[in-house]
Amino acid sequence: MPQIPTIWSGVLSNPERKESYARQVREIDKNIGSFLSYNPDLTGSDTSEKKIFGGLPIAVKDNIAVTGLPLTCGSRILENLVAPYTATAVQRLEDAGAVVVGKTNLDEFGMGSSNENSALGTTVNPWDKERVPGGSSGGSAAAVAAGLVPLALGSDTGGSVRQPANFCGVYGLKPTYGSVSRFGLTAYASSLEVIGTLTRDIDLMETAFGIMSGIDENDQSSVSSDDSDLSIGDVSNVVMLSVAKDMLDNPVARAYMETGEALKAAGYNVTEVSLPSLDLVVPAYYTIATAEASANLARFNGIRYGYAPDFAENPAELMRKARHEGFGREVKLRILLGTYVLRSGFQDQYYGRAQKIRTLIRKELASVFSSADLLFMPVFPTQAFLKGDSEMDDFKQRIADVFTCLANLSGLPALSLPVSVENGLPTGVQFMAPSFGEQRLFKVARDLKDVFPLQIPPNYLDIGSLV
Amino acid sequence: MAQVQDEWSLTAELARLELDKDEALILAREAERMRELFLTMSRADVDKLEPTTNALELNNRIRSDYVDSFNNVESLIEASPEQEDDFFLIPNVL
Repeated sequence: MPQIPTIWSGVLSNPERKESYARQVREIDKNIGSFLSYNPDLTGSDTSEKKIFGGLPIAVKDNIAVTGLPLTCGSRILENLVAPYTATAVQRLEDAGAVVVGKTNLDEFGMGSSNENSALGTTVNPWDKERVPGGSSGGSAAAVAAGLVPLALGSDTGGSVRQPANFCGVYGLKPTYGSVSRFGLTAYASSLEVIGTLTRDIDLMETAFGIMSGIDENDQSSVSSDDSDLSIGDVSNVVMLSVAKDMLDNPVARAYMETGEALKAAGYNVTEVSLPSLDLVVPAYYTIATAEASANLARFNGIRYGYAPDFAENPAELMRKARHEGFGREVKLRILLGTYVLRSGFQDQYYGRAQKIRTLIRKELASVFSSADLLFMPVFPTQAFLKGDSEMDDFKQRIADVFTCLANLSGLPALSLPVSVENGLPTGVQFMAPSFGEQRLFKVARDLKDVFPLQIPPNYLDIGSLV
Repeated sequence: MAQVQDEWSLTAELARLELDKDEALILAREAERMRELFLTMSRADVDKLEPTTNALELNNRIRSDYVDSFNNVESLIEASPEQEDDFFLIPNVL
């Protein structure tokens, strides 16, 4: 009955092995910092429970609620918050037997591409400790890449699952918007974000997605794939996004071209396509994301939620002080931008226009999918960059979101998969499908699995050695 | 630049953000850079397009309107930084 990888069953069925596993996770994570809190309670886990995920340890990004565990969002303003309820996506995995062993680091409120915007910890890339793990779900990606957990949850607002998965050499899935309930996910940009998964095992990813997805009465925007008439069908036509050569670093460009060749060798028809509005994607995305962030984060004011200063002369000062002392710089910047684009007199020029450009982009993608089964493109223009890299400042990181935030603006599912390791660092590509086309993504990932086998970083926790 | 700085200071006030002097300068510079990026959207012809507010264009499912009890009150109060009996405590601001 359990559908977890056999190797994990061997560990979880033995108390001493479970203890040894937890001990080794702690040891390895001292050098990686993927967890903000690690409290494994594997005592109750038992593969004989006849549950699909009987005892499988999972990690959860620390902006997703799990009863009794911290919910810091990587922010000083929520440093002491303990979640009083569990997110639906997590609850469904727990009901299937999974055990949450810890909460993983992230850029504050999911705002960033490096994990350097976390106020509460530093996470490094397991492949190279001088480099970032990506973000914002960098802790989840690092934990999976280092073998600390077989599966981790992240959230993807503009690429926050796929980009760190790409930097750390694991699979990352951003499901169709609404297919996984957002109940229990701390809201950043509600119309864009979705809970996704990171793993080294595509079968495990598919099983987890099947368990997590579906309508949830606590999330009115949740949808069921039953509402769609899309079938996996004959997945044969793949289009490759036309990308200007100077947009990509050499290793990324090589991995991209290699994937095209591998697809042809696997029997796919591969053609090229360009998106005329590609250069509008980032400005439209950041206009909408920051507008929604400014509204969603208004609740963190020292009264309704979060840290409050010891003293203030009046309620307005209390709010200003709480937000001044509680938020980091990137969060303040995005709130500032979001407030600006929603200001009276500016709204049509910025927010209204961005929403119409979103329509334009969706139309262009619909046109692509009228004749193609899948679209593939790079994930990020570079491999994992150095910590504090002045060549990749915050502005450049935002510009580099062009390939990932396309799926968030359109609501479409996308999966990043590792292709190669060059200069000691992984790099990959991502595939995008029409709404509810996750099965197509799993299929192509399986077809490429043997061509591009996953590789392991230094200091990898080999679960097999515990059995 | 002073005018730009004032514009962002006003925006920070509207957002209930208090900024240090240095921080205000840095953020105004970064925000201005992003605003210039946003302005590139002006080249798009969007006259005949409707705005997208939801990626799936589905209507929200609204639950039926009925009185229900909420049974998680205690844990919510416990989750607050400070509490007294059944009340949240917030700093004295009056």
